[in-house]
Amino acid sequence: MDKAKEKMSLVKAIRYNGRAWGIWWKQCPGLFVSITLSSFMTAVSPYVSIWMIARIVDELAGSRQPQAVLRLVLAFLFVTGMITFAGNVFACVKRYETDSANCRYDRIFMDKMFSLDYEHMDSQGTYDLYSQIVQNDKWSGLGLHETIVLFENLITAGVRILGGMVLACSMFFAKVPEGRNGFLWLNHPLCVWILLLGLLLISVCSAACGDKGQGYWIRYADETRFGNRLAEYYVFFNKDKKRAMDLRMYEQQENICSVYLERENPFTLSSKIVRYAKGPMGAWMAGSKSISAILTAAVYWFVCLKAWAGAYGPGFVTQYIGASMNLFLGVADLINGFSLMISNGNFLEDVYEFLDISNTMYQGSLTTEKRMDRQYEIEFQDVSFRYPGTEKDVLCHVNMKFPVGSRLAVVGLNGSGKTTFIKLLCRLYDVTEGQILLNGIDIRKYRYEDYRNLFSVVFQDFQLFAGPLGETIAGSKGYEAFRAEDCLEKAGFVNWREVMGNGLHTFLYQDVEEKGVEVSGGEAQKIAIARALYKDAPFMILDEPTAALDPVAETEIYGRLNDIAGDRTAVYISHRLSSCKFCDIIAVFHEGKVVQTGSHEELIADGEGMYQKLWNAQAQYYRQAEVG
Amino acid sequence: MEDNRAENMTESITQSTASASPPKEKSKYRLYQNTVFMFSTAWRVCKSVIFMVFFLAAVTAAKSVTELLAAPTMLQKIETAAPLSELIVVIVVFGMGLFLLAGLEAYVRQNALFGRIAVRQDLISQIGNKTARTSYPNTLSPDFLSFQAKSYKACADNTASAEAFWDSLTQLSANVICFLVWAVLLSRLNPFLMCLIGVVSGAGYVMRRQAYGWGWKHREEEAACHKRMDYICRMSTRRPYAKDIRIFGLRPWLEETWDHGFGEYQKFLVKREKRYLWADLGELALTLVRSGAVFASLIYQIFEEGLSVSQFFLYVTAANSFTLWVTGILDHFSRLHRQSLDLSVIREYLEWPEPFLLEKGKPLVQEAGKAYELRLKNVSFSYPGSGKDTISHMNLVVSPGEKLAVVGLNGAGKTTLVKLLCGFLDPSEGVVLLNGQDIRQYNRRDYYRLFSAVFQDFSVLEASVAENVAQKVDGIDLKRVEESITLAGLEEKAGSLPYGLDTKIGRQVYEEGVELSGGQTQRLMLARALYKQAPVILLDEPTAALDPIAENDIYLKYSQMAEGRTSVFISHRLASTQFCDRILFLEHGQIVEEGTHRQLLERKGRYASLFEIQSRYYRERGEEYG
Repeated sequence: MDKAKEKMSLVKAIRYNGRAWGIWWKQCPGLFVSITLSSFMTAVSPYVSIWMIARIVDELAGSRQPQAVLRLVLAFLFVTGMITFAGNVFACVKRYETDSANCRYDRIFMDKMFSLDYEHMDSQGTYDLYSQIVQNDKWSGLGLHETIVLFENLITAGVRILGGMVLACSMFFAKVPEGRNGFLWLNHPLCVWILLLGLLLISVCSAACGDKGQGYWIRYADETRFGNRLAEYYVFFNKDKKRAMDLRMYEQQENICSVYLERENPFTLSSKIVRYAKGPMGAWMAGSKSISAILTAAVYWFVCLKAWAGAYGPGFVTQYIGASMNLFLGVADLINGFSLMISNGNFLEDVYEFLDISNTMYQGSLTTEKRMDRQYEIEFQDVSFRYPGTEKDVLCHVNMKFPVGSRLAVVGLNGSGKTTFIKLLCRLYDVTEGQILLNGIDIRKYRYEDYRNLFSVVFQDFQLFAGPLGETIAGSKGYEAFRAEDCLEKAGFVNWREVMGNGLHTFLYQDVEEKGVEVSGGEAQKIAIARALYKDAPFMILDEPTAALDPVAETEIYGRLNDIAGDRTAVYISHRLSSCKFCDIIAVFHEGKVVQTGSHEELIADGEGMYQKLWNAQAQYYRQAEVG
Repeated sequence: MEDNRAENMTESITQSTASASPPKEKSKYRLYQNTVFMFSTAWRVCKSVIFMVFFLAAVTAAKSVTELLAAPTMLQKIETAAPLSELIVVIVVFGMGLFLLAGLEAYVRQNALFGRIAVRQDLISQIGNKTARTSYPNTLSPDFLSFQAKSYKACADNTASAEAFWDSLTQLSANVICFLVWAVLLSRLNPFLMCLIGVVSGAGYVMRRQAYGWGWKHREEEAACHKRMDYICRMSTRRPYAKDIRIFGLRPWLEETWDHGFGEYQKFLVKREKRYLWADLGELALTLVRSGAVFASLIYQIFEEGLSVSQFFLYVTAANSFTLWVTGILDHFSRLHRQSLDLSVIREYLEWPEPFLLEKGKPLVQEAGKAYELRLKNVSFSYPGSGKDTISHMNLVVSPGEKLAVVGLNGAGKTTLVKLLCGFLDPSEGVVLLNGQDIRQYNRRDYYRLFSAVFQDFSVLEASVAENVAQKVDGIDLKRVEESITLAGLEEKAGSLPYGLDTKIGRQVYEEGVELSGGQTQRLMLARALYKQAPVILLDEPTAALDPIAENDIYLKYSQMAEGRTSVFISHRLASTQFCDRILFLEHGQIVEEGTHRQLLERKGRYASLFEIQSRYYRERGEEYG
């Protein structure tokens, strides 16, 4: 993170953390309650035993009444028992809540991703940002997760400090009795203030040293971010099964992976951080701990001196030493907590940048009436489109109209704008110029969800989810089994019952279910077509529907495309021009423009056209055969 | 500080229950063997790691002892009203001691880290090499893959077994030292009491382990819940899935599936926490018994044997700490034991038997201009567990310089045939011969050097275009890279890249990297195969992602690409193979027809009828206008 270098102000850091707590609170309020209770018990329990033991010690050093001692011991056992018991119960609830919250963490990002406009989902920036957040979280837990830890630390520190103050404050008021002349100055209020100030100063110094030491880490992490990303990639990339053959045939591990890993390793024994650790970083860290030891010694000195002078008995010595040690641990935790808050703030900034991406797509309110006759007509009017942040028109003044029930084919070279055309049609993106009309009305004026429901699409890079076959086809938990089966068969997956041992309940893939079926590319494509059919939308779009199929399957599908589409309006994109022949309209895209439209016969007759070229590129081999 | 320790301990238990392998699983190497293994690895990589363990343990123990003795010693001075100077000396000595020890501990701890990282990295690189270089059939074995996954996990981060091992060892040693010091201290007082504390602590530990063992035993239940939720999360946050989610309105379904998994997980948590709570309560009861006994015995001694108050205080604290040492020793020992199971997995993975002769095989030196003939002699192959021959009784000679095409439907065995030719798989029956010699006798890595291939699955690296083409980092022949790129038809794209051939591909590592389209990637892979200039070139469906003109372009250049080499071209598009010398038509793992395109059509067999199906659409009326 390049911005991590500037230090965030404490106020901003607190505001950021506050927002994070707000986010968590919405997800799981019980988390905060259980953490508070459990931290309270954790922080209080040492004080209770310090105090009770001090009383026992006092009793033993003083009146030595066996009865009183017995009572005290029983009370000690009872009270510590109760507190530990309560602490255990709260700790259980806390673990339950924390583990739940760790799952809910994903939900925060899933919800955001679901609700984002496709435009943002598709942008590299969004994706990079999210990867960064995931990586921060994985590498160091910094970001949203850390704020839970922070909450716990701060609450515990707070209770510790309060408890310590309660048990230690009488130390300052206990007077050295008159007559111990050399020590009366200990009674002077100034003495107390000097001591307190000194202790605070030492605490701050110790924390500052620790910070200084940590600073080397943080800076180094920043310097070696590239090395870490590289390692993250190259250490694990060879596990990918798809790489197995290339790895061996091209000796990638030996010639590239190992070379890179060695060259960019941030943690070699001669790296900068090792030198820092031997030198300044180690020294600062050691200093931080050593300074804390001075604090301990100072407390010993003050407590013992006063006791020696007769201000209080030995029981109080144990109490004051225990309490003030805990008190200062609390102060140190508090200081650490705030400095952690500041360094975490930078990571939260990334999280918020992501969560604050706002949708810009216009949300219309018209409903698309559900027409039984599927009378929907689409028209592109002078449509141009540029991807956000780019200069070049991917589509350029496209005009097209396709009537109800027609079959439209879109052909053209790679990168000629065919897939973009589909994305605009389904309103995954909004046009940059011009407009798209549905039954004469700009599609932006319809409710987005309604409009989207008009389309069934099999994308070139379609994705099936690893779930039960039936659910995957229907896209929901509940589905009509007979329709799902029917769609599978219509999509040409005739032997699905053999492949899918458990019928519609068979899991696809083995990502979540070990008994799942790893379907082949061709089978997956048929399932994707079945899914599109099941949706039964008025528009059916197939982007390269046969790329993964062999010639026989390909012919089969083509033969049935007409049946499959039925009374729907169908749009095909294909590299296999043979599939276009039966379409009513063929639109030839070239460099973002529609250069030709017409039926196959019309287009092939135009000897100069793009279509002719594309056709010949494929047909020549088959024609020669004819001759042969 | 006692409090802190107790917390760390529970943490370490939950942590170790969450990571290591099951205690009952049989593992090949025992704890002492794995300790020797780690020591010898450390000896090779960074000797100081071993010394640091014991030094750090000594310092940590010294610090703990000093801290615990300070208060009682001072109390004693006050109680006995010793001269002030004595009190001051005590405070100064303890203060100085703590000052030095605390600083030293922090310093040593900081510096101990890097050697440990280096040792772990060494293991990671051994694992990585095994993964990338093991015989190919191993990568298809579920057992191997499961050991692989576990090995990576055991080295994943600072808290994984391969590094945490050292920490466990350090803490174990520190606890043992403290235990010994306290044992001496307490036994002076009352040996029975010491035994009692030991037994009660041990019992508490056993109870807790039992309970936490429940979570361990049911970890698969837990993992199953996570697997579902993680999958949904992964898919919902990835770009390729966004389109389908939106068009098919999959959000409610995915959320419901996630919620279902979450509900199951929460049920699991409730069950788990109930167990843990019972164990906690049992332990609490034992603690109360222990404290009661300690108090009773100490108070008795005060009243009857004149124990001083400062000693009373010392022993109360000591009894507490003694418990901590005992549990600490047991805890760290069992942690170490679990980590040892992980280490054993790593070793077994590294020592996994290799079915191929790799470095042990006969060297195979490539000679320029030498002709290589490949021959399959009665070869059958079936994937383990499939029970069906994917390739059956195949005989085939690929003569030097021949342009061979292999066609057939999906599942005919085309890709498996390629894998057999390249030596990724060894036949179940029959032999593959190179110039008449069984290829199994050679160093398989040398054998791979004879081939350049474009497979259907490929491995594009996050590296520059030139590095991807040349497949190395240093000593790239740039001229050859350019030639290969031009021949593969990628020169236009390469010219438009921001840094030319130095442009990085992919954005996982490089923020300024570019993403290539499917067609461009395929051409890049082709360029890579051309750069290698191996005697045999293998192309498995190299044009699947290309448009018709680009595809045609590749066909036209094919003879130039394959010039002077043996080439094998695989496709399910029959039209694409007419420029080859010989076409093999595969069905059910057998060569059913072979010959030139013309010969095959004249035979009017399977090939001809398939060709007929494919070309129907192109002929009918297309011909009239063509």
